[in-house]
Amino acid sequence: MKRRRFLQVAGAAGAGLAAGCSSGSTDRLLPYVTPPEDIVPGIPTFYASTCRECPAGCGIHVKTREARAIKVEGNPAHPVSRGRLCARGQASLQGLYDPDRIRGPFRHTARGLEPVTWDAAIAQLAEALGAAAASGPDRVALVTGADSGALDGFYDEWLRAFRSTRRLRYETFAYEPLREASRLAFGVASVPEFDFASARYLLSFGADFLETWISPVQYTREFAEAHGFRDGGMARFVAVEPRRGLTAFNADEWIAPRPGTEGLLALALAASVVRQGRAHLVGAEADRVRGFLGRFGTQSVAEATGVDEAVVDRLAREFTAAQPSLAVGGGVAHQHRAATQTAVAVHLLNYVAGNVGRTVRFQTGRALDKLSRYSDATALVTAMAGGKVDVALVHDANPAFTLPRAAGFADAFRKVGLKVAFASHFDETAALCDLILPDHTPLEQWGALETVAGTRSFVQPAMTPVFDTRQTADVLAAVAQKAGKRVAAGAASARDLVAKGLAPAALEQTLQHGGQFGPAQQRSVYLVSDFARMAYQPPAFDGDAAGPVLVVYPSASLFDGRGANKGWLQELPDVATKIAWQSWIEVHPDTARALGLGTGDVVTVTSPHGSVEAPVHVYPGVRRDVVAMPIGQGHREYGRTAKGRGVNPLDLLGADATDASGALAFCSTHVKIQKTGRSVQLASTEGSARQLGRGVARAVSLAAARQGEVEEGPEATITDAERTAIAAAAASQRQRAYIGEYAKPQPKWEMTVDLSRCTGCSACMTACYAENNIPVVGEEQTVRHRGMAWIRLERYFEGDTSGTDWQVRQIPMLCQQCENAPCEPVCPVYASYHTPDGLNGQVYNRCVGTRYCANNCPYKVRYFNWWDYGTVGDPYFAFSEPLNWQLNPDVTVRTKGVMEKCTFCIQRIRFAQNDAKVRGRELVDGEITPACVQTCPADAFVFGDAHDPDSRVSRSKADARGYNVFDMLNARPGITYLERVIRGEGA
Amino acid sequence: MATIATPVPASAPEPTYAETNRDVIATLRPPGRKYFAGMAFILVGLAFGAFCWGYQLRYGLGVTGYTPPIFWGTYITTFVFWVGIAHSGTLISAILLLFRSGWRTAVYRTAEAMTVFAVMTAGLFPVLHLGRAWYAYWVFPYPNFRGVWSNFRSPLVWDVFAISTYLTVSSTFLLMGLIPDVAAVRDQAAGWRRKLYGLVSFGWKGSDREWRHFGKMYLYLAGFATPLVLSVHSVVSWDFAMAIVPGWHATIFAPYFVAGAIFSGCGMVITILVPLRKAFHLERYIQVRHFESLAKVCLLTASIVAYAYATEFFMAWYSGNPFERASFYNRAFGQYWWATWIMLTCNAFIPQLLWFRKVRTSIRALFVISIFINIGMWFERFVIIVTGLSHEYEPWQWSYYLPRWPELGILIGSFCWFSMWFLLFIKFFPAVAIAEVKEALPAPVRAGGHR
Repeated sequence: MKRRRFLQVAGAAGAGLAAGCSSGSTDRLLPYVTPPEDIVPGIPTFYASTCRECPAGCGIHVKTREARAIKVEGNPAHPVSRGRLCARGQASLQGLYDPDRIRGPFRHTARGLEPVTWDAAIAQLAEALGAAAASGPDRVALVTGADSGALDGFYDEWLRAFRSTRRLRYETFAYEPLREASRLAFGVASVPEFDFASARYLLSFGADFLETWISPVQYTREFAEAHGFRDGGMARFVAVEPRRGLTAFNADEWIAPRPGTEGLLALALAASVVRQGRAHLVGAEADRVRGFLGRFGTQSVAEATGVDEAVVDRLAREFTAAQPSLAVGGGVAHQHRAATQTAVAVHLLNYVAGNVGRTVRFQTGRALDKLSRYSDATALVTAMAGGKVDVALVHDANPAFTLPRAAGFADAFRKVGLKVAFASHFDETAALCDLILPDHTPLEQWGALETVAGTRSFVQPAMTPVFDTRQTADVLAAVAQKAGKRVAAGAASARDLVAKGLAPAALEQTLQHGGQFGPAQQRSVYLVSDFARMAYQPPAFDGDAAGPVLVVYPSASLFDGRGANKGWLQELPDVATKIAWQSWIEVHPDTARALGLGTGDVVTVTSPHGSVEAPVHVYPGVRRDVVAMPIGQGHREYGRTAKGRGVNPLDLLGADATDASGALAFCSTHVKIQKTGRSVQLASTEGSARQLGRGVARAVSLAAARQGEVEEGPEATITDAERTAIAAAAASQRQRAYIGEYAKPQPKWEMTVDLSRCTGCSACMTACYAENNIPVVGEEQTVRHRGMAWIRLERYFEGDTSGTDWQVRQIPMLCQQCENAPCEPVCPVYASYHTPDGLNGQVYNRCVGTRYCANNCPYKVRYFNWWDYGTVGDPYFAFSEPLNWQLNPDVTVRTKGVMEKCTFCIQRIRFAQNDAKVRGRELVDGEITPACVQTCPADAFVFGDAHDPDSRVSRSKADARGYNVFDMLNARPGITYLERVIRGEGA
Repeated sequence: MATIATPVPASAPEPTYAETNRDVIATLRPPGRKYFAGMAFILVGLAFGAFCWGYQLRYGLGVTGYTPPIFWGTYITTFVFWVGIAHSGTLISAILLLFRSGWRTAVYRTAEAMTVFAVMTAGLFPVLHLGRAWYAYWVFPYPNFRGVWSNFRSPLVWDVFAISTYLTVSSTFLLMGLIPDVAAVRDQAAGWRRKLYGLVSFGWKGSDREWRHFGKMYLYLAGFATPLVLSVHSVVSWDFAMAIVPGWHATIFAPYFVAGAIFSGCGMVITILVPLRKAFHLERYIQVRHFESLAKVCLLTASIVAYAYATEFFMAWYSGNPFERASFYNRAFGQYWWATWIMLTCNAFIPQLLWFRKVRTSIRALFVISIFINIGMWFERFVIIVTGLSHEYEPWQWSYYLPRWPELGILIGSFCWFSMWFLLFIKFFPAVAIAEVKEALPAPVRAGGHR
């Protein structure tokens, strides 16, 4: 964006804000007569709000500059996120500035799509609703996402005003089996609160709690607390699932039972705990439990699951020996027809081990508990198909995409008289609608969510709306008024609803904090005595049993597909397979060999319910009898980024494949894999899946770590004589290098990364895109390894991947800010140079593009602008209006032909330094956080001044586990990695 | 250097001075249809190359096949290739002059012209490959107010000086050597040509004094150019050797590159001389024995190059450095095995045929072998640059590069650019050094004189 345009926009926005939140445009650039108090050019303003990218409800701070939201970060005061955020949360900005957003209200007519005024649309809707309400009860259906709190109540009330109760709180992943299992086992239909942080032993039965499951940011933080190595100790984590995803990458041990038998294994574990006399049970309950579990003999379970008896007994022993422990289950990927029973089995295991009430706690008032079930959605489909619905309103949901095609949503929906979409995009559902009344995105909205018990998390607009949109609650209120109904005591807007009951001062204070965070009300639960409800029935699978079982799992970046139009999320390599932009099917190497398939071969995947085509990704992380596909791609509508990309594996699922809770069984069918003969190149960022002893990502066993031993890298091959020579050369170099400006006392910015905390979630990558104006390059360029991510997550497999006994090493790789940087001397024009405070500066304006620096960088963390991503009008322009509004004004947008790289967010360093200077104060350790450090949910990074011996980074560097990658090159990196620690069996 | 050729008895009688003048100056006659057809073909190729560069400038280097971490590819390969080609010219004209190898006289003019044009071609590539070619002048150290200054620690800056020095010296050398010949042409020309040649020959009259000065100056320039043969390609090799890329970072690079340069240059001289000799009927001047001598230089340098290959592989193993070992294993058996084996076949194996005299004295065989040498030496640079970069320290960042059409277009364009200058040269200047050929001939004797 041109500077002039930027100032215009800033001026317009500021004026708009000053005039009271009306959007509009100016033709002339006018200076402020009275400058708005909260807009100081060059100084960011933060607004506390709540992330709406998934139902977890993390608290956020939206950073605005000159009245434009430019960055989203976690709210440190918020109990869920504690200042951290995941990649999807970071990418919410791209939802705000998505060029494909619907820019105003539209009406679908026989002539096509026509713009309509808000008044006309509201009148039309009010009339239709009046008629529907008059013709009978329940003629109106309202579908929303996972809403809670004030607005949620308003929607119900509003619906009642039109004589209807057809309300769907629709989420694709609604954890029905877990809720139902809680009801069956403890009589409380609720998603419990899990305390990962205090667990000393973790057992996951297919719950991807570090990716999408319930509250991934919170769980990542807590998991890192428990599983990170500290003071000689750490929790052990065992993952039980037929497909190894990111969560199981972090496991110390991976167990892959036959799909559908995870619950059986949990029961066998519980039985083994009881048999070993380690159960926390008393009295009659103990006998009853013992009686029930007696049916699950280790031997028969071992046969059914394919897991060795000894392993079952060992796990049971370890699980109870560590106190407290925690078992979690009920992940979407392994949600089969016995999902509820599996979740019951996990509950029982926790109960037997004495974890319920300690690491598994039940609370009242979780928003997730109120979510509609999949069966409620299919019931609505039936009602619509039967002509029982006259007006259907869809808000914040896309059932036409996220319901299996076999469920027939689209056909049924078409039979509804008036279909209204409150969507931001022409997604699959909106494309079917008659009226499209675009909603504000969450960063423009008001709200007060009660996602977690005890908290009231506020949503407030961080800026004036980008387009002519209105918040759905406001529209509904206007419609009610037009139709002559009085709803919510005449509240006219979402803001009124949110502010209700709060004095202006209290409201302001609450908004500044981001909400009201009180303690959760705990509920004690007891095991029900009716064990018949807990009986385990192995799940049935559709299709020919000769074929592999299909596992369909939520994408950590695209979630259920809602993130598919965001370039940052498309370009974020999948956390496990490292493939971006595409759909794929994961096939075990042996299976692939038997079928004559290689990576990139396109296959037809056929189930009894449908078939899709996808390229093969040969992946050792699935069982031989399992294939896996991610959800998220395959949009037939939506925006330019998502549309026509990949396939939707939900098309392969049967609509009536449900479990006892009425949840859709995502793992419910065998499939047939057939070669098509075609082949594509996968957009994978992986060069080699093996580090071949090069010591990039290192790990050490717990026992060794306790002794202060570490894994050695290739520098161990250097002889002592060489080492002495290198040290002498280094010392003399250092002496000669620190002259002039460099000899003055300066901070030296360094970083440590604790690999025993890093989970590989990749939030840092998206945070870096947001902070540093990194262009999205697209699928074709990603195939050609031309992605621009300044920080990347490398993922290496270690060990023999033919079985399950192998480990995954992950490492965030970013510019190492070498003290003796190989990139610097080779640049002919000093574009790459060393700053006095120890950074490898890169002067974009000076770069002529020889790319010598990138050749000479051993870490390969320099990125070249192959195309013109930064110039308006160029075919490769990466920030098409209004995406360019998000650009960080403190960071240059790079032009074609220059090299770029991580600078430890030098703009943040300088901002803090300048601020300290202006205020005449000292910088405080921890005050400066690069974007990756700021967002890391696992708190794996430490950043600071290594010249200050008391700084956190200096202390962290001194850890025995610390190492530099490729140390023998004498580049003297400024990043010290702390080796991952793997806690082996029995340790 | 064992390059003294055993005299081959010429089948035809030695030409006389007058015949030499006539035959050589005959090459300057107005060109025929074939010449124009060839020139048209070349200009089309050049235009395509220019289009490719324009396309690349417009859209960015993305149009090439660069696949990070392979940040250098066809352009730098071709750059080093042309610099290498340039070397044999100076070797033949300067070093062999100092060694007093008589056989050089027939071929050195061609070789020297080739040097100048090859440097002119090579010099394009460092600019062509830049991300922002329009700022290429920033690498020159000159006073300016932008605070931009060259980094003298960068081998790329050394390159700038090496190449520009070499271009200056070799073109001076060429023009200097041309003076007596151009004077001979002037004497037979008329009109504007006469004026032009008069200018270029600096009014050469052929007096004893002039000859004495000319000889001294020529010797002096030869002495000046000789170290450049070694230094320029050493500097070019440091582009690689100074970097820490496994497969690049080796002390053998300078001598290895110099030998390779002479090898490729002699190969190219053969490739050019064979058709030139045929087209202009210069068989009497450029004789088989000259070719044989060139073939011997090729054989010697091919053996040095082959030894260097073996040394590289041996050192990679012997160093015990896991990165070097992996890089060289990958070079021979990895994704780029085909390039490596093309290189080895063309540069190390095929030239061994030159041990046979029959091969050395067969023009046809030599021509075919010289083509292989050209191909092999291009691939040598490709192998060093691309396989080295494709398999560096960081396993996560290993990848595979193949050139795309704009790069191939520019590669073709570079050959056309070179050929264009060469074709123009042979129509404007004597392609065989008249004066020096005459030196090797028996002095003319008046009729009835003593024989």
